[in-house]
Amino acid sequence: MRQPLVIFTILLTTMCFNQGVFSQTTEGGLTDLDLDFKIEEVEKKPYSVNADIEAKETIRFLDQDALLFKQKYLDKKQEDTIWQTDLDLTIEGQYQKDTIKLYGRFNGLFYYNDDEKWESEEKAEEAYISFQPSFSLAIDAGKKVHKWGKGYAFSPSAFFSRPKDLDDPDATLEGYYSLSADYIKSMEGVIKTIAITPVLMPVTRELNDEISSEDEVIWGGKFYFFAFDTDMDFMFLISDAMDNRFGMDFSKNLSPSLEIHGDAAWVQTYQQYIIDEYGNTSEQGSTAFSLLLGLRYLSSRDTTYIFEYYRNGQGYSAQEYENYLALIENGFDQYLNTSNQSLISKSKTYAAHYNQQAAMRNYLYLKISQKDPFDILYFVPAITVVYNMQDQSASITPQFTYTPFTNFAIDLKTGVLLGESKTEYGEKINTAKVVLSIKYYF
Amino acid sequence: MKKIMIMVLLGLFSSMTAFALDGNEILKQVDRNLNPESFEMYRKLINIEPDGTKKEFVMFSLKKGKEKIASVFLSPASEKGRGTLRIGENMWLYIPNVGKPLRITSLQSVTGGVFNNSDIMRVDYNSEYNCEKIETTDKGYTLYLKARLKNVAYETLTMFIDSQKLLPYKIEAYAASGMLIKNLYFKEIKDFGNGIIRPSIIETDSPLYKGYKSYIVFANVKKRELPSEIFSLNYMHKIDGLRQ
Repeated sequence: MRQPLVIFTILLTTMCFNQGVFSQTTEGGLTDLDLDFKIEEVEKKPYSVNADIEAKETIRFLDQDALLFKQKYLDKKQEDTIWQTDLDLTIEGQYQKDTIKLYGRFNGLFYYNDDEKWESEEKAEEAYISFQPSFSLAIDAGKKVHKWGKGYAFSPSAFFSRPKDLDDPDATLEGYYSLSADYIKSMEGVIKTIAITPVLMPVTRELNDEISSEDEVIWGGKFYFFAFDTDMDFMFLISDAMDNRFGMDFSKNLSPSLEIHGDAAWVQTYQQYIIDEYGNTSEQGSTAFSLLLGLRYLSSRDTTYIFEYYRNGQGYSAQEYENYLALIENGFDQYLNTSNQSLISKSKTYAAHYNQQAAMRNYLYLKISQKDPFDILYFVPAITVVYNMQDQSASITPQFTYTPFTNFAIDLKTGVLLGESKTEYGEKINTAKVVLSIKYYF
Repeated sequence: MKKIMIMVLLGLFSSMTAFALDGNEILKQVDRNLNPESFEMYRKLINIEPDGTKKEFVMFSLKKGKEKIASVFLSPASEKGRGTLRIGENMWLYIPNVGKPLRITSLQSVTGGVFNNSDIMRVDYNSEYNCEKIETTDKGYTLYLKARLKNVAYETLTMFIDSQKLLPYKIEAYAASGMLIKNLYFKEIKDFGNGIIRPSIIETDSPLYKGYKSYIVFANVKKRELPSEIFSLNYMHKIDGLRQ
């Protein structure tokens, strides 16, 4: 058994045994209830610190025939699986004094895998100062996440944030450095609330350099309205180097068990980088329109359905994507025949565009989760399907989450990718993966 | 024969008294006795499983008017920072990891256990229910309430009221099908100061969750004038900052 797996197992066992120390289980049940107890949290402190630690073991089952495997490894990797052990610590803290609040969330990741051995990453996901002179106004400066849009799995109108991880849409994101404000006004009448959120985002070589290629100040904003029991947002982003963006979203409950939502986004003069099967490159410029329509339904049996249709206006057509995969195939043949890697190298220069999640145009997303089945309390099995409508390939992810004790969660996720050759999910590096994680909050 | 005549007369008198009472006015008074129109409070939610295992959550909540309530979870650590907001029939949940409010429904439960979101984000009963019938009993009144709105968790409520204190001691909650969903028991009346005297514990059980019990324990219930702006999506992640 590998060393990291041993460490993972020891951690899991230790955390499970320790649970007896910190759990709030009472043998006597009701008789132990102190009905006159005080709530300690009533005493407010100016600061607070929270943390969670997660141990995760991932097994990736590689598809050596997949084109993205060949693009990454050529013929230099013989193993069928990659194991990775992650130890992930997140610390969140805040300090508030009168109208000033300091907030920070820091993440340290220590991981081991067959390719990289032991590595570590540290980052400040968020770190900002907030000035709140009144209930209506707040001004924030620093590294902050601006999560816009109503989509669960996809967020085409989240102009000032990094893309979500389709495998874990609820995961925290790393913010960008920005100066933003929040002005809220409540009123009587049809429109109950409005909120205005202007954002300034500087881009330099040292700051937010992932966003834009030029030094500039990107600006934009979001206008929120709550009217007719419906949430509505209108947002925009203006930039010299990037494409200007405009968007809107909405969300509404149609019944006690049914919610609908939608996002729309327009990216002006969007430049799409295209490469064909011979490595010839071109650019296409046009307005890209993205659309998301979704619903969330809770059945009488406590089954939650989240369904979304996503049209990615910045995605590739079936032919364009197939050409890219054909380029990798040609490049691999060229390498085998001549040891020349020029075509494979060319394909790699476009990998950031083509290999990203949801790189094509039309997707369906469905997540079904069941609360407490078979009378097992705090157990939630779920299954998630992401279906590429253009090439009929799919990702299917069964998941089991169990929170047997306070502040303790166990999660088992298994993902399977299905698709013919020259399809998005059919040519991914992995054919399947299993992820077991345990998380403790303190 | 005399006995029968007396019983009939007593019955008639009893129904006439009940007829003269305005159930909705009583309901309004019950709402005001349970809490001021604008106030803050701390609550501990306790879910107890049949084997005695206990899960606890502590929330700080603010309520304004008949239909606005906002809360933030203070513990346990896994839930800390989660916020809930209700404006009328609309409910949202803010999860710090997710970083934006999501719409939720009254039938879901942000804490698990027998309490659902409607119980946890309780607004005035009078804003959600209309009294269709009132009866007098030995202890006080029984109000038969029917939902005014379509998005409520319970189609009808039967509220048992102590007529001396004008406070409920039991509520039976029914689905549209007539099925009993849960019982709520109001216990341990406590003086919170400034004229707020109300039950400090709500206990619930449900025929749907046999053996399970949930409690809400109230603390530091006090009047507070609040601006409407804090009951908005953009303010949900800042509710903790309003604790004094």
